[in-house]
Amino acid sequence: MTFNLLIAPDFAPERFAGWHMLNTVLQKKSGLALHLITPASAAEQAQLIADGKVDAVYANPFDAASMVRDNGYQAVARPLGKSDEMVIATAAGSPLNTVEDLRPGCRIALTDNKDVKLIGLRLLEPADLTEADVQWQMVDTYQAAARMAIKGEVDASFFLAEAFHSLSRLTTAQLKPLIESKLADITHVLLTHPRMAAEAARLRDALLGLAGTPEGQPVLDELGIKGGFEAMNEEDAEFMIDLMDTLLD
Amino acid sequence: MPLSDMQKPDEPSTEHRVTHHDGTTRTVYVTQREIAYPEGRLIISRTDLDGVLTHANDAFVELSGYTREELIGQPHAILRHPDMPKAAFKDLWDTVGAGKKWHGYVKNLRKDGAHYWVYATAVPNIRGGKTVGYTSVRRKPSRRKIEELSAVYKEWLAVERSQA
Repeated sequence: MTFNLLIAPDFAPERFAGWHMLNTVLQKKSGLALHLITPASAAEQAQLIADGKVDAVYANPFDAASMVRDNGYQAVARPLGKSDEMVIATAAGSPLNTVEDLRPGCRIALTDNKDVKLIGLRLLEPADLTEADVQWQMVDTYQAAARMAIKGEVDASFFLAEAFHSLSRLTTAQLKPLIESKLADITHVLLTHPRMAAEAARLRDALLGLAGTPEGQPVLDELGIKGGFEAMNEEDAEFMIDLMDTLLD
Repeated sequence: MPLSDMQKPDEPSTEHRVTHHDGTTRTVYVTQREIAYPEGRLIISRTDLDGVLTHANDAFVELSGYTREELIGQPHAILRHPDMPKAAFKDLWDTVGAGKKWHGYVKNLRKDGAHYWVYATAVPNIRGGKTVGYTSVRRKPSRRKIEELSAVYKEWLAVERSQA
């Protein structure tokens, strides 16, 4: 039997090869047949979940909440030392220096990443800005968000921190971060569906056994998860979901 | 276990006696110093059903001025600032006790008598249909809200004192 492993569509494009390498090494280590699915959008991911086609999913924390509480998925593991953070940046020459310098009516570019938007909205609160106070400019990529900020077409852009830090040096030199989150406790999680409950431990053990091994560590390095993964139990997942719940409004 | 009285700080301070929602009281010392909210961070804690701290993240520990060992096992009211009216906390406990989410602006007291403002959200931890504890997450509040709520809390405190 082949299990479908879905990777949430919010990873940086240069990590694409890494996820395929991970799928290969996980199959080898666990003895499980895994089929990697990399949906192009959050909507495509939601449809695959709703269709019951996803046996294991590397989910962003925002989606993990409903997958666990509504779809019965169980948390298996999470990356060590790789929390989901975001950056709000403006043009290097902008008169803005802090989030509090943003005013109602300001223009902010962002991609279709719910976690980034959610955390970003919370970081705008000290400026007394709500979602309705901002003119949102949806873009397809973080590079596009960067270009808009640099050209002054928006006052600021939202970035997944990892994506911001992997922009070219030339690009980041033309940007000025107003804030970078340091939430620490919010991470992606590997979830498994109850229909693969009997195999979940094998998948987890394979994942946890990657760090420091000749075949596993290069894959982790490629994914930017140098510390590897740690096991996650039900209460760990529930704790993070409670935490996400506090950030919804 | 009721909280022990605060140690008098070295810098100039005023002495207050605060009464917690469970009826216990504590002597605290308050300076006028405000500590800035740490940028980009969340302050996270968990308590049991009685409001006793079971978890505090690094930001919580750092900002409180206490060590983690001094915090865990103590009532959450260890952060209670005398400028906070009782009604605010009653609303918190009534709301989460009913299984709902609570939001509010809170002035917290540090070990050294200084204070910091937070925008707090508390949620019940519901496991298997039962509330087993509470999680509270704080974010950075806006200066306008702090000023607005300072004035509101002053009024509430005046009412509470007049009724005492």
